[in-house]
Amino acid sequence: MKKLLLCSALLLGLLSLLPPPALAETFTCLACHSAMKGKVRTDKGSFIEVNIDEQRFSKSVHGGMGCTACHKTFKDNPHERPQADVSRKISELANLVSPKAKVDSVAYAACDDCHGEIYKKVSESIHGKNVIEKRQHDGALCLDCHGSPHYIMPQKSKESMVNRSSVVKTCGECHENEEIAKKYNLGTQIVEKYEESFHGKKYRLGHPGVPTCVSCHGAHDIRKWDDPASPVSWEKRTITCGKCHPGANRRFVASITHKPVGKDNPIPYYAEKGLIVLTMGTIAFVIFHVFLEALADIRDRVFRKKKEEHHD
Amino acid sequence: MTNTKPAEVQRFNGIFRIQHVILLVTFLLLAFTGWALKYPEPALQHTGWWIRLWGGAKTAGIIHRVAGVIMISDFLWHIVYVVSQLLTGKMKFNPVTTVVPMPSDIKNATQNILYFIGLSDTKPKFGRFNYIQKFDYWAVFWGMAIIGFSGLVLAFPTKAAIFLPQWSANWIWEVFFILHSDEALLAITYILIMHFYSEHLKWENFPMSMTWITGRLPMRHFKEEHPLEYELEMKENPGAFKNPGNS
Repeated sequence: MKKLLLCSALLLGLLSLLPPPALAETFTCLACHSAMKGKVRTDKGSFIEVNIDEQRFSKSVHGGMGCTACHKTFKDNPHERPQADVSRKISELANLVSPKAKVDSVAYAACDDCHGEIYKKVSESIHGKNVIEKRQHDGALCLDCHGSPHYIMPQKSKESMVNRSSVVKTCGECHENEEIAKKYNLGTQIVEKYEESFHGKKYRLGHPGVPTCVSCHGAHDIRKWDDPASPVSWEKRTITCGKCHPGANRRFVASITHKPVGKDNPIPYYAEKGLIVLTMGTIAFVIFHVFLEALADIRDRVFRKKKEEHHD
Repeated sequence: MTNTKPAEVQRFNGIFRIQHVILLVTFLLLAFTGWALKYPEPALQHTGWWIRLWGGAKTAGIIHRVAGVIMISDFLWHIVYVVSQLLTGKMKFNPVTTVVPMPSDIKNATQNILYFIGLSDTKPKFGRFNYIQKFDYWAVFWGMAIIGFSGLVLAFPTKAAIFLPQWSANWIWEVFFILHSDEALLAITYILIMHFYSEHLKWENFPMSMTWITGRLPMRHFKEEHPLEYELEMKENPGAFKNPGNS
């Protein structure tokens, strides 16, 4: 009897080590959707991935949710067409964000259910307006920064795309992309210039306090710099910089731009060229001098040794 | 013969030696901690462990700032000390013993290089400081003016911004970044090549000239490398150096 108790206690203990059990409905969907290889062709003709990595999903922040919480048009019966009723708010939003959603625009809008406030901020941001008002499909919305909703990790986790350690790379996905930069008239060397700045250099060395992109530019409510509401607008820049640099004034905030050093800003450009000539010239002279001196010293020691001994 | 002191001549007093040691230590600390910030490329594998060696980016930054302030203070101490020595007459200007560049330095440099390549049979006669030593000395002034000043601006940017004119704001920061890092690289390479050769690798000094610790220079080196000063001393103070080897 005791043995049986012990066994079952052990078994229960083991069970608790397993990831939290998915909802029954999720479990049913995943029976197929975790074992599908290749891509599926949609009605519109694009190919999409419909397989879900069950382990990663269950570890993600959304791992406890059921599939139809977001995929609202789907019914429990997998053989029915996905035509379930959706609330008006979500279906309207789904229409607005449809340029971004390859397949299930309702699911793309469903974030609003829980993250309504943030969704509102994003919709009013330059990223959101680009999709909703300009109907562009290549701008950023939720998933471009956070990754697939099935695998989103807490922001503090290193695996999160918006974690401190990876957020610069995430922004760079678009802001270093030449096609996108050309289309939207963005600077192409923004991330590069950030990495060359003191902020970026310290960031790359793992300094815990230096700002990343989002520290200055904001995240969900990001705006263009010439929008007065942007934290990096001329009106607000001294306040934004002043968060870390108390007493920041107009002359101070001019120190950070993401402009490459070029002929349009001639003083630093030619100062750098001049310093390179000076540095290289001095180093060349020093190497030349030391080289000759060393040869002469060896010559004096080896071939003119007698003279010295005589002198002593 | 055995009870006579080794033939050496006093060259630097204790204060100069302490100033040199502070300069040396802070220079190395600044170079080591600044290096990673100049080259934080992830492709260069050394920056990762190098910065951890200095306690991570934050600690390295603090070391860099503290060492910088100490170095500038050391430099100012040196200036005050030398000026006061000159004003009280303890140190006198003499073309043979001065560290100030003189026209003869150009002549000496030319002749020295000619001697190196075998076009001149005689070495130039140097005073207390040869032209390389003078260059070493004044390089610190250049470094302080350029690297020290730009370093202060970069360490206290919001304070510096109070004094900056508005018309310079769009380019002056970039110039300070460039000045600080380029001239630091120049200082490091200069020390690595010229100073290390003169004071460590050079035949008579290998593995290291002890002058920076003892303040003294062996008599033989003194006569060979600073003959003008030797002659001057012999004229002004005959019998000051009793060289047992030459008696």
